[in-house]
Amino acid sequence: MSSVREWSDDAGALRRFGLALVRDDRFVFDDVAASALIEKLFRQASLTLVDCPGADRRAARVRAFAQFVRLYRRHARRLAVDEDGGWLETPPSARGCGSAAVGVRALPLELREALLLVVLAGFTHREAAEALDLPLAVVIDRLARARARLAAHMAASREAAVAWPQSAHLRIVK
Amino acid sequence: MTGRADPAETLAYVDDCLGPEARSAFEVRLKVDPELRREVAQWESQNRAIRAAFGAPPRNALDLGGASNENIVRRSGEAMRSGDGAARPLAQARKRRAAARPIAKPRPSGPGPSARRLVGAVALAAAIVWVGLPSLGLRPPAALFAAGAAAAHALADQPVEFAAGDPAALALRLGPRLALAPPPAPGLQLLGARLAPGSQATATLYVYENLQGARVALMVEPLDEVAAAPVRRDEIDGLSVAAWTGAGYGFVAAAAGDADIAALVAAAGADDERLAEAGLQRR
Repeated sequence: MSSVREWSDDAGALRRFGLALVRDDRFVFDDVAASALIEKLFRQASLTLVDCPGADRRAARVRAFAQFVRLYRRHARRLAVDEDGGWLETPPSARGCGSAAVGVRALPLELREALLLVVLAGFTHREAAEALDLPLAVVIDRLARARARLAAHMAASREAAVAWPQSAHLRIVK
Repeated sequence: MTGRADPAETLAYVDDCLGPEARSAFEVRLKVDPELRREVAQWESQNRAIRAAFGAPPRNALDLGGASNENIVRRSGEAMRSGDGAARPLAQARKRRAAARPIAKPRPSGPGPSARRLVGAVALAAAIVWVGLPSLGLRPPAALFAAGAAAAHALADQPVEFAAGDPAALALRLGPRLALAPPPAPGLQLLGARLAPGSQATATLYVYENLQGARVALMVEPLDEVAAAPVRRDEIDGLSVAAWTGAGYGFVAAAAGDADIAALVAAAGADDERLAEAGLQRR
């Protein structure tokens, strides 16, 4: 019973992570495909860990997220869709949302994936390093850069929001 | 240890990656270093913004009064899910559930399985411990402390937005959810109220003045389903701060001196025992 619930929590976390990470709608084009992909990743992760003594749910989780990251990296590289500012379309989940979401999506993939793994998926720095297949120091450096960029973006958004009423000019339309 | 914290350590603290000993050591440094506190608060607020932006439940449920948030996320998730994957408004989902209820299979009326009874007994015991030992288990959310102190720091000395003379007008301006009648406190004169950013939502900041002309602030923030927690006292940026929760609200009293805080907390309904627990004394 509890494992079903844990699995469902993990699947929900991966779905949120995917929505935040992916800029290109062609990667996973609808909800059914997303569910199928998430289920497949967790099943694969669980199966590969069956023979590993001491491997737990946490390890399966790291592996499933790592596989997702690898798949999206490959997709982004192949189609060159995740260059800075080069995404095709605003994903539905980013439309009409606040400056944090827009700021996260504006980050380059390498910073975005580290930040989202830690903040959104709740990974420790070590687990994030494992999932991203990077040294711990690199992950920490990317986290610091991502946070600084996002803070600058959010501050700029706040300033723009404050400045807007003064700069906006209304026009009478007859 | 008095040196500046390593940025990696600060990030590790914010992301909950430090071991218990390193965490305690960091918290000691946090208490004496306002710059570090500001940095940690900034990253924590960024974490909350990211999690909220993508619909994730708050990481530390107690800190954010988060049980309710998690429920809201779960409920809205239920409402948004549908067979064709299209989003539906919450009200529509509720109507559909209500319509489905009469044809749903009735639950068996006999006694449940023993496992269910065992879970019930454990839950009851946990509730008794929770209610009986509030000083061990319950604290007002840390974010509430921080929001109250920040609001008092920035706004208590500013002119009030709403005059205190007319509570009815105050209620009308603030709306029924924000307007709680401000308690009359001995030795303190109520000047009025301001709107202030709370830990989760807009809060009311009642501003009082003591006999020496110093301002005292009481922040009242509506918090959904937050557990009642007794008064706790802390000191933030030179302000004496006391916070507690109950009746769906979070309360934070902030002033330069403990005596004014004690008067305000007592006026809000805390007895001497509760005041003593929080290290406060009536004037």
